[in-house]
Amino acid sequence: MTLKRPFDRIETIDIHGVRKRFGETVAVDGISLDIRGGELLILIGGSGSGKTTTLRMINRLIDPDEGTIAINGIDTQTIDGIVLRKNIGYVIQQIGLFPHMTIRENIGLLPTIEGWSREEIDSRVAELLILVHLPPDQFMDRYPKELSGGQQQRVGLARALVMNPPLLLMDEPFGALDPLLRRQLQDEFIGIKEDIGKTIVFVTHDINEAFRLGDRIAIMHEGQIVQLGTPRDLILNPADKMVSDLVGSDRLFGHIASLTVSDMMVPASPIISGEMEVQSAIGVMVQSGSKIAVVRNRASSFSVLLLSTLLQMRDEVKTVLEATDPPFFLSMDASLLSALEEMKAASVSLGLVMKDGEPAGLLLPDDLITRLV
Amino acid sequence: MVSGLLLTPILQHIVLAYTALFVSIALGIPLAILALYSRPLQKIVMTLANLMQAVPTLAVVAIVVPLIGIGFWPAIVAIILRALLPIIKNTWIGLSSVDPVLIASAEGIGLSEWEIIRYVRLPNAYPAIFAGVKFAAILANSVAILTAMIGSGGLGSLVFEGLAGVNMMKMLSGALPAIGIALFLDASFSWMERRLLPRSGQSGLE
Repeated sequence: MTLKRPFDRIETIDIHGVRKRFGETVAVDGISLDIRGGELLILIGGSGSGKTTTLRMINRLIDPDEGTIAINGIDTQTIDGIVLRKNIGYVIQQIGLFPHMTIRENIGLLPTIEGWSREEIDSRVAELLILVHLPPDQFMDRYPKELSGGQQQRVGLARALVMNPPLLLMDEPFGALDPLLRRQLQDEFIGIKEDIGKTIVFVTHDINEAFRLGDRIAIMHEGQIVQLGTPRDLILNPADKMVSDLVGSDRLFGHIASLTVSDMMVPASPIISGEMEVQSAIGVMVQSGSKIAVVRNRASSFSVLLLSTLLQMRDEVKTVLEATDPPFFLSMDASLLSALEEMKAASVSLGLVMKDGEPAGLLLPDDLITRLV
Repeated sequence: MVSGLLLTPILQHIVLAYTALFVSIALGIPLAILALYSRPLQKIVMTLANLMQAVPTLAVVAIVVPLIGIGFWPAIVAIILRALLPIIKNTWIGLSSVDPVLIASAEGIGLSEWEIIRYVRLPNAYPAIFAGVKFAAILANSVAILTAMIGSGGLGSLVFEGLAGVNMMKMLSGALPAIGIALFLDASFSWMERRLLPRSGQSGLE
């Protein structure tokens, strides 16, 4: 028996006008949300905000009373719930490893049901244990009770990934861990997330976790989505008092107010010549691992060069100078807050910090926000 | 010589008790699974289980006679009536007392109802099922003595004849093997339990 896969990759998940009530309680009150393939979308809110119900409607553990949820344009109501869920990874806070099964059996349960051979299962389990940083030979044959909470949660993640689902639903997976361990698992998870390249919907009530992990964050309150945006949107343009309290705009801005540009700038490197050949410039930038270069024109004039722009225009330009953007100059000791406001007003996302006529650093508001939180 | 005379009643007793026990297991476990998904059935089963526990064993044996007569098969029915319910009740309790988190996580990763029973509920219920079967086996063994009164043969005949004739020797020749069988049943089920139940690292099982 092979698993029917309703989808191999996620293009879109369209949640449209979805409503759900349990008895007299309205859990989800008409939400619409487009989740993009490959992103990590955070659903955040207090208890009773409807975030978990929303998550559980995506894999049909709960069916909506009204509205539709479509994955890649296919209404999930037309897909058998069991088939759908076998194709979607699911991780919960309580983990729910089966106590009577070894780690191998826990992770290998779905493959066993699907009739994989013992060798296939063993190699897949080993591969996943390595991915979640647990040495397979030490952990394969242990029972869940013999593992710490953090180790169990890693096994939970490995189990969710076993059928290589294109979509992962995570319901406060790190919520029960102590703050230090939570932070460590988040860091590991950021790495794993890069490796696996999946679409992830992640429920949390921890705004710091949301900022660290989320590409976009949907803030839910009383069954509705109050605001949806990138961490930067939410901090800089909170929709209302509730959002600004939640994201701690005041707190963050209070912190920012004491900082200068030099506190938060990143090194300006590489600095390359404006006459440099396009190909070698790409080489230098890739080599240095930098997506942004500072270009020195004749004398003491500078401009900035984005690797993405350069790659786009590689065939149309001869020298890098033609692909550069005029810089937005900032001075080292300017207040960070006013610098950000100026940049926002000019709608630029990159500032070149100068000191004594030479580039001293770059200010990247997007990057800055993730570093501040 | 004595052992030769005893062989037939001992065999009769074992056939009687084990046939009834296996039928009880074969009926009881599926019924318990069904009871999990049907509230009316669950109500009926649990009410019957509690009721049957309250009825004295002798009365159970007696009530069979007006309904289906005497002999081997009525005796089997009497034993089943006594042995079935601990099995159903324990199985049902074992199946339904699985940690809800495990059920939620099993549903979440896409197991069907049957797969949840097969891979999650049943394994978690094994200790309770074993306890039920063990108890049922002991019950079957003792009821199989009493059913000699309704013509089932077996060790009970020796006991009752010995009692009636004040023949201590005969009575003991029925009672002692029955005690031996009971001890053997208990030991063999404990052994099976140790062999079959996975070591979950969470209880005193290892």
